[in-house]
Amino acid sequence: MIQSILRFLSSVKLAITLIIIIVVVSVLGTLIPQERSVGEYYGRYGGLAPLLMRLQLTNLYHSAWYIALLALLTLNTVTCTLTRLSPKLRKTFRPRLEAEAKTLLAVKDSDSLKMNSNLEVTAAAVRQALAGRRYKARQRAEGGGIIIFGRKKVLGWFGSDIVHLGLLVILAGAIISSLTGFRTFLKLEKGKAQAVPRAGFVVRLDRFDTDYYPDRHNVKDWKSRLTVIEAGRDVRSEVIEVNRPLAHRGFVLYQSSYVQEIKSSLIVLEVLSSASPERAQTVSLRPGQSVALDKTGLTLSLLRFEPDFVRDNGGLISSRSEELNNPAAQVTLSRAGENLVSGWVFARFPEFSMTHGSKASDTKVIFRDIQPGISPDFSIIEAAQDKGVPLIWVGCGLLMTGLCIAFYWPTREVRFLLEGKKDKTVVTAAALGSKNREALSSEFAGLWKELKDQT
Amino acid sequence: MSETTLFKVALALYACALAIYLIYQFIYQFRTKEKLGLAGWSAALLGLLAHTAALIHRTVASGHAPFTNMYESLSFLAWACLAAYLVIDRVFKIPRAGFLFLIVVLALMLLANSPLMPKEITPLVPALQSYWLWLHVSITLLGEAFFAVAFITSLMCLAAASREKKGGQPSGLSAEKLDAISYRCVAVGFPLFTLGGLVLGMVWAYKAWGTYWSWDPKEVWSLITWFIFALYLHTRLVMGWKGKRSAVIVIIGFLLALFTYFGVNYLLAGLHSYA
Repeated sequence: MIQSILRFLSSVKLAITLIIIIVVVSVLGTLIPQERSVGEYYGRYGGLAPLLMRLQLTNLYHSAWYIALLALLTLNTVTCTLTRLSPKLRKTFRPRLEAEAKTLLAVKDSDSLKMNSNLEVTAAAVRQALAGRRYKARQRAEGGGIIIFGRKKVLGWFGSDIVHLGLLVILAGAIISSLTGFRTFLKLEKGKAQAVPRAGFVVRLDRFDTDYYPDRHNVKDWKSRLTVIEAGRDVRSEVIEVNRPLAHRGFVLYQSSYVQEIKSSLIVLEVLSSASPERAQTVSLRPGQSVALDKTGLTLSLLRFEPDFVRDNGGLISSRSEELNNPAAQVTLSRAGENLVSGWVFARFPEFSMTHGSKASDTKVIFRDIQPGISPDFSIIEAAQDKGVPLIWVGCGLLMTGLCIAFYWPTREVRFLLEGKKDKTVVTAAALGSKNREALSSEFAGLWKELKDQT
Repeated sequence: MSETTLFKVALALYACALAIYLIYQFIYQFRTKEKLGLAGWSAALLGLLAHTAALIHRTVASGHAPFTNMYESLSFLAWACLAAYLVIDRVFKIPRAGFLFLIVVLALMLLANSPLMPKEITPLVPALQSYWLWLHVSITLLGEAFFAVAFITSLMCLAAASREKKGGQPSGLSAEKLDAISYRCVAVGFPLFTLGGLVLGMVWAYKAWGTYWSWDPKEVWSLITWFIFALYLHTRLVMGWKGKRSAVIVIIGFLLALFTYFGVNYLLAGLHSYA
């Protein structure tokens, strides 16, 4: 009973079946968007949504049954590798030196010849020929003859085992990551410090710079200068950027994002006069700023800016959200302290305005554009602690080493049977190796020629 | 010469190589065939040199690796495929594969050159500014290039196998030989794909996003591709599958690799949206 369960668990057929199932299921997981809201699934799949959610296809990669499939494949890999390992170890360290002329000659690269030297001398010649090609020889006398096994690159037999070990180590790392991993986002304001949760230290954002490409539009880099503070003392200070995190006491701090406070944006306004169009003038202002318009002698003030303008029944004005859904600016246009135009103008509706003022009715203020501030106000730092990571890298190293050994370090074995006939010896030999047969064949041919030349 | 000119020169030389390999298919005289094979290889090599110059030109002009948008990466993939073919052809002598292979390369080049693919140099977003971009993308695409050679030899293996079954005269290489060549290509491509696509991808993801694996569609599809080639190796090395069945797995594996590279970008949204 246990025997048959073990045989089932260690079979390559199970591995193949599992791989096919995992592949098909994983494809489904990429076709169905993962971890979205319930509403989105109903919108997308209608009546099918509850079924998909019940089957956990909407959070497939973290679902119990997907993990169970992976666990089964892991168990399969372990048992399969182990059951194949012990015969391999025996073959490596305690090989049974047995050979029959008939079976040897059935091998593709094999041959037989009669040498004019006695058994001992011939054995020495064979050993020397093997040593010249870096084969390690084992020898055993049997009956009236001698059996010699020459081998090299024995590690090649274990390439696949190293690959499997690497995969298991990676999986172990992944389990540790998912059980103990911790990540959080910090919204850091310039000059302010914040404790990193669970980390036992504090970080302060000293500087936050945005580098632009020469086109002044595309962002080249975000750099945060962080200072790590432990027990009130500055311990280290470093600049982090995307692709260059800071590691401290098992925590890694990443430049993740930034926040632009919308209210500190630069507002582009245009002042137009229908009477004298040549006096049109465009200016950029922040809320609270005023500017003198040199072409008309007027002063333009930006009193307030709301990204998502809304006015309630009581006439109270506010923003519905921080999104730029209906950007509006409250402006006044004055000459010598006297308001000519004042009220709200809208970016989305340049023709519409809520302004009053009669004395300069031919003058209009138009909301042209919003430019985000030159430098963002907050830097978003991701702090992550992941104790599984070192195992992942060890596993990757084993995986790659194993692959290289499995493909490019093939074990070679040449078996000799020497039978003494008076003072002559009949030598029968075969070369064994599963990979790169061409190279093995030519090596065997060279070895054979060397022996032949001695007769 | 400008990058566009060099690219067009490469395209023209590849077309020449394709024409030579086409003629090769219809010539039966051994000596002429041998000469044509060499001529096709040389034309393809000259094209590769012009293509290399175009890629270097672009790298210098843009200041970043020549595979940050679809035009660049298609061009680089075509380059890698041809380089892989030229190497494999030197070792195993498969000029018969040249015709099919240059169709693949030319298709990639023409797709890169099509108006669908914006060609202007765009500044690199911060996430891509890393030497890992070079390592991760170039090694992965090189691995896929060897899968492409394995794909073509597997197709030829299927054709040869059905011809041999009918008792037809084997023209060119036998199914057995093509099967062996296909395996050798996978033996190069699989470690490269594992290293570039999975290992270095995880390293870079950890450096840039703070997590080595996030079940992003591109990651999942890479894993699927990797699983299929693992399946190929297990059925072959443990269960002794060969010939037709092995060839079918390689063909599926390559199509999956192609989808991972191409389809995921257009059909599935995810973290790799820029690549």
